Amino acid sequence: MEPEAVESATVGVEVVNSIRERTIAENSMVVLLQGLQGEVTTVDLRDESSARGLVLNVDAFMNIRLKDVLFLDRRGQTAQLQDLFITGRNVRYVHIPDHVDIMKTMESQLAKIHRVRNFAGEGGGRKEFGGRKK
Amino acid sequence: MADEAEQQPSTNTVEEPLDLIRLSLDERIYVKMRNDRELRGRLHAYDQHLNMILGDVEETVTTVEIDEETYEELYKSTKRNIPMLFVRGDGVVLVAPPLRVG
Repeated sequence: MEPEAVESATVGVEVVNSIRERTIAENSMVVLLQGLQGEVTTVDLRDESSARGLVLNVDAFMNIRLKDVLFLDRRGQTAQLQDLFITGRNVRYVHIPDHVDIMKTMESQLAKIHRVRNFAGEGGGRKEFGGRKK
Repeated sequence: MADEAEQQPSTNTVEEPLDLIRLSLDERIYVKMRNDRELRGRLHAYDQHLNMILGDVEETVTTVEIDEETYEELYKSTKRNIPMLFVRGDGVVLVAPPLRVG
């Protein structure tokens, strides 16, 4: 079973299932990109090409999955792609849509992570980080 | 800066290089990037990887063309404006206040 099956089933299904990824994401600004799931954005790649499409998913390593993509390669040729996976290392820029409120998006993503972390019964009733004081 | 409340009390002392960037939050800054690129924009957010959110940003890409006959170097720059940009930290070379001419 695909590890990502849960979160890519519907656009905007929330937090990653791995503790490690949650921690990495929580401590960096990737959370903002994760909050862009469901938005149409342009991603500029390191090799000067760009991809504009609907963000399906962004993981803690900035790997991005896009849907219904217009891909502009370095030489200016366009291609229509149904599904595109971009490795985090190859991202140079992500254009943030004008209507996105950055602080709110980051706060709501962090709240989701904290909700998952504090969910009773996760890990057999143990807290994710034992006895951590806020 | 993603989780300010838990990680970093808003202290005014400058302890490490990243604190210097913190002083530039909400100010216009100049960012030199790899591949002869420069950004000028308002710093909204950053993290320890130097991933940054810049607003009202102008990107300048500089290219050098060499004339075949005279071997003269011709510097060309292309600019574009983007309202809000997320920049991946591994492309950042340096961060500075905007350069003032003269």
